[in-house]
Amino acid sequence: MKKILIVDDEQDIVESLKFVLEAADFTCYCAYNGEDGLRLAKEIMPDLIILDVMMPKINGYKISRLLKYDAKYKNIPILMVTARSQEEDKLIGEETGADEYITKPFELDDVVKKVEQYLK
Amino acid sequence: MENSLTSKLPVEPSPVVVCSLKSHNCSLSQRERVLYFFSLPEWGRGGVQKYIQNLTYLMNTAKFDKIISMIKILVISDRKEKCDYFCAIFPKNTYEISCLSDENLIYDTVSADNPDIIIIDTLINSLKHLNKKIKNLCPNSIIIFLTASNKIDKDLIKYANAFLTEDMSDDFILSTINVNLRMKNSLEMLSNSNKDLADSLYRLNALYSTSSQFSGTLDKAKLIQYMIEGMDKALSFSLTCTLSFCTEEEPVLILNSLYELSDELIEALKLRTVLNYNSLFDGKNPPVTVNSDNLKVVKQIKYPASRFTFSLFRFDNMFAPISLGENFFGCVEIFKEASFSPDDATCFQTIAQQVSLPLKSATLYQEIIEANIKLAKLERLKSEFISIVSHELRTPLTSIKNSLDILMSGRCGEITEAADKFLSMAMRNVQRLSGIINDLLDLSKIEAGKMDFNFAPTNINTVIDYVKSALSEVAKSKGLTILTQTEENIPDITADAQRLEQVLTNLVSNAIKFTPENKTITISSKLINSKDIHVNAYFKDTVKLKDGDYILVCVQDEGIGIAEKDLLHAFDKFAQIENSLSRKAGGTGLGLPIAKQLLEAHHGAIWCDSELNKGSEFYFAIPAANVLSTV
Repeated sequence: MKKILIVDDEQDIVESLKFVLEAADFTCYCAYNGEDGLRLAKEIMPDLIILDVMMPKINGYKISRLLKYDAKYKNIPILMVTARSQEEDKLIGEETGADEYITKPFELDDVVKKVEQYLK
Repeated sequence: MENSLTSKLPVEPSPVVVCSLKSHNCSLSQRERVLYFFSLPEWGRGGVQKYIQNLTYLMNTAKFDKIISMIKILVISDRKEKCDYFCAIFPKNTYEISCLSDENLIYDTVSADNPDIIIIDTLINSLKHLNKKIKNLCPNSIIIFLTASNKIDKDLIKYANAFLTEDMSDDFILSTINVNLRMKNSLEMLSNSNKDLADSLYRLNALYSTSSQFSGTLDKAKLIQYMIEGMDKALSFSLTCTLSFCTEEEPVLILNSLYELSDELIEALKLRTVLNYNSLFDGKNPPVTVNSDNLKVVKQIKYPASRFTFSLFRFDNMFAPISLGENFFGCVEIFKEASFSPDDATCFQTIAQQVSLPLKSATLYQEIIEANIKLAKLERLKSEFISIVSHELRTPLTSIKNSLDILMSGRCGEITEAADKFLSMAMRNVQRLSGIINDLLDLSKIEAGKMDFNFAPTNINTVIDYVKSALSEVAKSKGLTILTQTEENIPDITADAQRLEQVLTNLVSNAIKFTPENKTITISSKLINSKDIHVNAYFKDTVKLKDGDYILVCVQDEGIGIAEKDLLHAFDKFAQIENSLSRKAGGTGLGLPIAKQLLEAHHGAIWCDSELNKGSEFYFAIPAANVLSTV
């Protein structure tokens, strides 16, 4: 089974994503802040990461950049989840290497479809 | 010279103040008024404050009878009979005669006493270098040579004003001297008039340059500084005390002085200023309370190496408020070692009045600036607030939506019909909320100038077709039909297709919302010259179309329409909130203002025609030759 890492400080959102992704036969690992997310990513080598942007400790862009510039992890697809506030717009200009952006509120089915697309 | 201060300062010295007129060495030119600062030697530092009531200013009108100055005659001769002769012929009560022959004594007397007439005996021994030196020492004295015969030494001519011979009669000698004296007086008068004229010119010049400086700035601190500089130029004062309310929040006392001021003197000047200020309001409460504690002192010293001493302060002064009508900006007092003339007083008043008008303008200007800063800050706060709020709203909204999605998908168990109805209701409202948040964000982005546009060649008919197909389902569910009447051959324009879709979707959604069942909504497009576009009277001022071709799009409905009085506000933010019907129809009232801003970014315009209960026509126009290099 493919491993998916979900990193978001909003537990409710993590729950719902986990629910639909597990229903679609993926194994889900969850982290609720950036630091745990990064550590877990290196530990379990997930097949795909769903990453929130605004998080305590380390924000999503930074995690994405750290992973994408590391040859070992750079092939892991990253789906970035953003609430599209002005603060995030500022960050979005940075080179982060994320493969896809998903705007909150998103359709769960869309996310599942996108994940399946990347893991085909 | 009389000024307003005389009556307002305490005249009686307090009991502990010892005053003495002995030290008052008053010359003729200073006999008008003398100002004293007194202190007791044991006061020391801080004592001035302790003895507030003991410190006083004695305004002393020292009246000296005019001393009629005697005409000073110096006779230089070593012949006793000649000295006696001259002493005898001049009346003693008008002429003061001295006779000298000692060379050194002569020089000392000439330079110290400045005699009006010097009579030099040509038979005196050291004549040659004596002449030259005397002429240098007192160039304004009249030099008359006494010769024994009619023969005159040519060397003497360049020094001489007149010659007397020894055989002349007394009357002849006296008249010669009188003629020369009159000439000397006339010359002095002329020279004085010239000097006065030059002074006036200089003062006029100073006034002119000061007033042009005044008109060049709206900075209050600078205006006060220019005033002080102007007074310095025109009146060459020794010290000014300017109390200013307008340069900082606290009252400021600007002490502009030739020399350094001692702490005691500064305290005394502070007290004096406070007294002056309070006296301006005749016992009523002044607009700002000023006392020596809250008065901030700013020193501007020209020559800090020297120092004014407290006890020797004996200057002439002038005082004036700086005010215009009700506006009071402060007051100014200037001191000078010599006395001020009436012209000085006029000049001083003029400058103090002149500065008041620009100070008032500066006050108004500052108020406007402050209001603008406040507004800008509010605007920024609002933008930040909207952005933060929408971010904070979006996250929980996502959780609600996700949960609803999961429930409605039936993955958590079967859903009854009733449950489905309420879940759908919840879902609809989640979508509506998220629409509102998007609108708010869009608007705050546009207003902050942060909206990104993706300009590319766009055909308006493609946009119309897209919107029609996107909304026809919603329209159909309400029993409405969307028709299009598009002109073929409409040229492509450079535009952000997505934003134009947003504008048109807004207009058509509104039409759907406000149109009753079984009616028609028509979207039309055409290429038209701006002079053939008719904008109704309500929008004449806001819609400005340039000469040239425009692409005009119209969304026409048969809905409830907009009342005339509301037409102008149709594009205001949250305008809909006022309208109870719209609440039923839903929406934030942000759609039209967003549409307006998006079109303005395309150099276009939006307006509408409407009749209550008949329907509305919303128009927007975009220049056909739209060149958008930068937006």
